[in-house]
Amino acid sequence: MRPAGLMGFITIMWIMILTVAAFLIIIVVPIDIVLFRDRIDRLITSIIQASIAIGIVLILILTLSTMKKIYMQRKL
Amino acid sequence: MLDVYSGYNIPIYGITVSAISFFVILFTTPKIISSLIAKGEVVEDYHKPDKPPVPRPAGPVLLIGIAVAEIVLYLLTLNIKVIAILFTSVIAFIVGFIDDRKVMPGWFKPIALIAAAIPLIVLGAHGTHLNLVFGSVSIPLLYIPLILVIISTVGNTINSIDVFNGVATGFVIIAMIPLLASIAIFGSNEAFIAALPLLFGTIAFYKYHKYPSKIFPGDSGTLLMGAMYGAVAIIGNSEIIGTIALLPAVMNSFLFLATVKKIVEHRQVKVRPVVLTDDFKLAATKEKNAPITLVRLILLDGPLSEKEIGYQIFKLAIFTSMLAFISIVIQYSFLSGVLHL
Repeated sequence: MRPAGLMGFITIMWIMILTVAAFLIIIVVPIDIVLFRDRIDRLITSIIQASIAIGIVLILILTLSTMKKIYMQRKL
Repeated sequence: MLDVYSGYNIPIYGITVSAISFFVILFTTPKIISSLIAKGEVVEDYHKPDKPPVPRPAGPVLLIGIAVAEIVLYLLTLNIKVIAILFTSVIAFIVGFIDDRKVMPGWFKPIALIAAAIPLIVLGAHGTHLNLVFGSVSIPLLYIPLILVIISTVGNTINSIDVFNGVATGFVIIAMIPLLASIAIFGSNEAFIAALPLLFGTIAFYKYHKYPSKIFPGDSGTLLMGAMYGAVAIIGNSEIIGTIALLPAVMNSFLFLATVKKIVEHRQVKVRPVVLTDDFKLAATKEKNAPITLVRLILLDGPLSEKEIGYQIFKLAIFTSMLAFISIVIQYSFLSGVLHL
């Protein structure tokens, strides 16, 4: 089937999205309780959480860019 | 989740707005086609022999069908979220219509579409929680910039997939099915009913946009579809599910931006990602500095006709819709407490 390779690519993208979602729920959301034990201001905690989330999204984008290069090298 | 015991008569309201959108677009489009041809508002269909003229844009007819349905829904429900969806769609249409009439720089659509998100924020149509498949997070402040990004990105994503006859419309129809299922489970009655005119309007429009196209949606049509898709996903608490259903289009935009490395219109790209063969098939270019797009990746396995490429994109859309349905099951399991991380 022609788009099988692309379906594989999309499946990896989907797994990466789910992984990021799981990481945000398990690690980033409870960070104020686990890491700072509720001792830091809520606004600062939110800024830290947002920064981590943006960082993870950037890592996701870089990983996708690397995947794209590998896919193109294999196909060309 | 849909509340069948609420004050809304969901089946009656749903059938009414779906029928209005469907029949208005179905019966108005031929008149618009004749009117556009008479005015000479046509563009060449590049991928066919003799490059036949095709009228453009169909954005106004999509707007009429969807707007009438949403206004009727507002009169029935008096729900402000319906007006927020309508205003977002109208502003996106205006942005696209300006681009249809005058060649605008590449930055215009992504920046101008931010304005389309404002009704959702000003009218308080959005929630404060983001469903992240494995749970829900409260982000009251962060949600505002997220709305601006979602509307602009989804609008442009649907716009960027409008490369061949019927593709953008067919893609939206396929992606709307898991989105509606998600809104029915995680959203509200009004969000579900307000989303129906987009599905049934695009089904009616597909009759004219499918291969060989009798009319093109233009930027006004694609931005309207994309922005409305984003708006109903936001109001229906289904942002991530909506994104998963759009993955091939998201991938297309990402690949293009990652290779071109700046926001430009497709017409401004000097090296085309695909070339037309003598037998009017499309083939992936061998040029290394050409942008990588979804179609170029599809064509790496060999040339295809325009119609065949459309089917390949629809196969990918159906595949990602299945992934979106799996994600709905996972999200439901976690949010209802059946599963825990």
